[in-house]
Amino acid sequence: MLLNGTITGLIMGGILSLPVLGVAVIYGITGIPNFAIGVIGVFGGFITWYLFPYNMGLAILTGVAACFVVGYVTQRVLLTPISEMGGDSTLFFIITVSLGFVFEGIIRAVFPRPNISIALPRLGTVRFAGYSVEAFKLVALGFAILTLVLIRISEEYTEGGKSWQATSQNLKLAKLVGIGTTRVFSIASGIGCALACVGAIFWGSLYNLDLSSGWDLGFMGFIVAVVGGIGNIWGGMISALVIGMVMSFSGYFLSGMWQSVILYAIVILVLIVAPKGILGSERSL
Amino acid sequence: MRDRFERVLILLILLAPLLFSLRGGYLQQVSGYVYLFLVQGYVAWFLFFKSGQPFFGYSVTMAIGAYGTIVPALMAERYLPLFMLASAVAASAVGVIIFLATSRARGFYVSMASFLLAILFPKLIEALQDTTGGRSGLYFSGLSGPLGLRNLYLLVILFTVAVVAFFFWIMNTRTGRILTLISENERLAQAVGIDTFWYKIAAYAIAGFISGLGGALYVNYTGFVSSVDIEVFSTVYIFFIPLIGGSRVRYGPILGALFVILVPELLVPVERYMRIFFGLIFILVIVLLPEGLAPSIQKLLARARRKP
Repeated sequence: MLLNGTITGLIMGGILSLPVLGVAVIYGITGIPNFAIGVIGVFGGFITWYLFPYNMGLAILTGVAACFVVGYVTQRVLLTPISEMGGDSTLFFIITVSLGFVFEGIIRAVFPRPNISIALPRLGTVRFAGYSVEAFKLVALGFAILTLVLIRISEEYTEGGKSWQATSQNLKLAKLVGIGTTRVFSIASGIGCALACVGAIFWGSLYNLDLSSGWDLGFMGFIVAVVGGIGNIWGGMISALVIGMVMSFSGYFLSGMWQSVILYAIVILVLIVAPKGILGSERSL
Repeated sequence: MRDRFERVLILLILLAPLLFSLRGGYLQQVSGYVYLFLVQGYVAWFLFFKSGQPFFGYSVTMAIGAYGTIVPALMAERYLPLFMLASAVAASAVGVIIFLATSRARGFYVSMASFLLAILFPKLIEALQDTTGGRSGLYFSGLSGPLGLRNLYLLVILFTVAVVAFFFWIMNTRTGRILTLISENERLAQAVGIDTFWYKIAAYAIAGFISGLGGALYVNYTGFVSSVDIEVFSTVYIFFIPLIGGSRVRYGPILGALFVILVPELLVPVERYMRIFFGLIFILVIVLLPEGLAPSIQKLLARARRKP
């Protein structure tokens, strides 16, 4: 049971960490809490599902690219101008929730079914210490870890990553040395939404996606990010894995409904005891 | 003079739907909902916008009032008023506990803790479905039994007017002025020797109590409550009321409540696209009218008056 619970928890945490990374990237760089990220990700998941019968690779690529464009455009057209006018966290909460309503409405209006499952290939099973696990789930976990490592590497060793860091640490100075901060914000938002889309595709393959999944995934992504220390990528990853474990182990002892109650109660407790999350926030709120 | 005129105008606007009680039916029912959400909207106006407390658990305090009334009343209906009062006290206590528990944190984290509670609470109601009815909900006749629907509607209006009058009154008292100072510059308030801690507790206690009592009245008016009614979006809608209407103006939440409740009603013919329009309208109002509807209407009227 211990090994089973650990592996399931790691996988759940791994998938969860993708929208969490999305939240962390967007918040860490732009300083804007985007509550629509989950709904935008699920919108991409629905696009992938719709195009899936034609070509799997193209479907995934189109879904992820669509989310990148949505993230880029909404940041460029809506969120950055509001931020420049002095918008605060409360205003962004309202704006991004409203944006979430719009994309939830688009999913409802455009796609023929409100509840879908994405049939990604399962790739057989892997046996380990007498326990077998679907290779596909390991791919999902591996993808999450690889994404985290890639983001970290690109932050440290590429020009773009350095301009991200500069923008996140000192916006005025970044502007002064000629960094196109508006473009950096838009790209960060696009990447965050694209990551949420990949998370939604994995989620839709393991479970299913419906109209409320975007909110569930987005809110969950957000609270996991807050627990890890919002804007802190490593904190978000650790927090996602811990919460995945909590979800996995509580599933053995409690019914599904109590599972969510315990999870949220733990998260609230963490916020009360350590208001800045496990590893602390990289931005001051 | 202008202030008194504004107060009388607000009172008249609030009392105007009394006319609906003559006809009953759909308009009476919908306007009753507007009033019940207006109460919650004024709670958000008072606590968030006027006292500067970053609280997002309005659906929780409202739900405590609703469930704290209906669950015991199904066992002993004759003590209904007592249960309503007790549930309001419980909601007030929960508000204070949330404040105390998050007092070490700063703004955004307090918002997140109370917002998470708003996500958690419906799940707790579903987990306790044997007692609370979960998503299927609980039904009872409540006050509509002894009072009748029309009198209950009148009670809802009177309660709303009393709540609005109370908030206007308290904001004019010393306590209200100190709360405004805390929201604008807490350090300054502390520097001049004000113990802001107790004033903030008072704000949470008052807001929790009124929100809880509003929830108790809500469940009596609807005769039903389920976990779906208190989902996290209720808190979002409640918060939208003063924000959309205009938090700087006293009658802003009235316009906000009309907007938040009536816009979905008007969009029923295009139900499939409702969320798209709803979200877009909110974004447009916030972007184009950042101070809310009421101040913008005020400016338009002033401009129209100036023209010969």
